[in-house]
Amino acid sequence: MEAFEELVARHRDKIYARAFSMMRNEEEAIDLSQEAWVKGWQRLVQFQGESSFGTWMTRIVINLCLDQLRKQKRQRTESIEAMDDETGGVERHMPPITINPTAGLERNELRQRIDKALGQLSYEHRTVLVLHEFEEMEYKEIAKTMNCSIGTVMSRLFYARRKMATLLNDLRKEK
Amino acid sequence: MNMDHEKQLKLQAFLDEELSEAEAKEVASWLAKDQEATLLLAELRNTRQSMARFEAGVRLPESREFYWSKIEREIERLEPAAARPEPVRTSWLAAWRRFLVPAGAVAALLIAVLVTIGPPTPQGGRLEAESAFNDPGVFTYHDYDNHATLVWLSYPAEKDFPDSDQNDKVQ
Repeated sequence: MEAFEELVARHRDKIYARAFSMMRNEEEAIDLSQEAWVKGWQRLVQFQGESSFGTWMTRIVINLCLDQLRKQKRQRTESIEAMDDETGGVERHMPPITINPTAGLERNELRQRIDKALGQLSYEHRTVLVLHEFEEMEYKEIAKTMNCSIGTVMSRLFYARRKMATLLNDLRKEK
Repeated sequence: MNMDHEKQLKLQAFLDEELSEAEAKEVASWLAKDQEATLLLAELRNTRQSMARFEAGVRLPESREFYWSKIEREIERLEPAAARPEPVRTSWLAAWRRFLVPAGAVAALLIAVLVTIGPPTPQGGRLEAESAFNDPGVFTYHDYDNHATLVWLSYPAEKDFPDSDQNDKVQ
C-alpha cells in the first residue's frame, strides 16, 4: 500500500490534469481522478508493463471521464449549436486565421485562454482534442476509445481545431 | 473557403502524420500550389502548438495527504481483507499437537533408552529427562553415570508447519 501511495504521489498531477481537461470542473476532476486510482489498485495485477504506469493510469481516468460525460449528455438536451458542431457548423467554411492568436503569450495567460476556449466546445470535440493533443493517440486509437469511426474522429478533430482557432482569435481581439 | 471537406481532412492528416508516404508527397506538392491550403495548414499547426503548452502547469489543488486519504479509505472499504492484516487464530488441533508431539517423543525416547540400557543397575544409575515449558518442542535426556546428554528438537518448529499455518488462517 505504501508503494502504491508513492505511485499516486508521483503521477497525481498528470492524472488530475487529464481529468480536468476533459471535465472542465475542478471538483469532478478530483473525484474522478481518485476513482481512477482506486480502479488502478484493483486492477494492478492486470498491469503488464506494455506501456508506462502513467500511461496505463491515464487510460483508466480517460475512460471514467468518458463514462461520466456520456451520462451527463444523456441528462441534458442537446443544443442546436452542438448539433451544428457534429455536422460541421460554420467553422468549415470560415477563411483561415492568418496570425497565431497565442503568439507571445505568457504561460498563465495562454492557459487561461485555452481553458476558456476548451470550455466552449462540446464534450465530443473537447475529448477528441484532449486525446489527440495531450494523450498523443492516433486516429484509430481515439476511434476505439470513443466508440466511433475514424472518419468521425477526423471530422471532430478538424472542427474542434478550427473552433479553437476562432475562439482564441476572439479572445486576442478582446484583449 | 472553397476547399472540399475531404481535402480539409487530408490536410489535417498530413499535419498529424497519419498519411502514407505516397499520400504525404501528394499533399506536399498540392500545398506548394495552393495558398489557401497553406494558410489552413498554418492555422491548424498554430492551434496544435498552443494546445501542447496547456497541461504542463496543471497541479492538483489538494495536498498529498488529503488526496491520498480518500483513495486509501475507498480501497479499505472495498477490500478490507487485503488492506488489513489478518488476525491469527490457533485451531484446537494445532494447539493439541503442540503438546502431543513433544510428549509422544519423550515417551518414545524413554522406551528406547530403557530397551537399550536395560533395567536400572544395582549401583542405582541416575537418569533424567527434562522438557522446557516455554518451548514444548525441545526436551533433554541426561545419563549422568555414562556422561551422556541427548537433546531432542522438534523440527521444523510447530508454528512453521505449513498445514497448521493454513488451518490457522481465517478465510
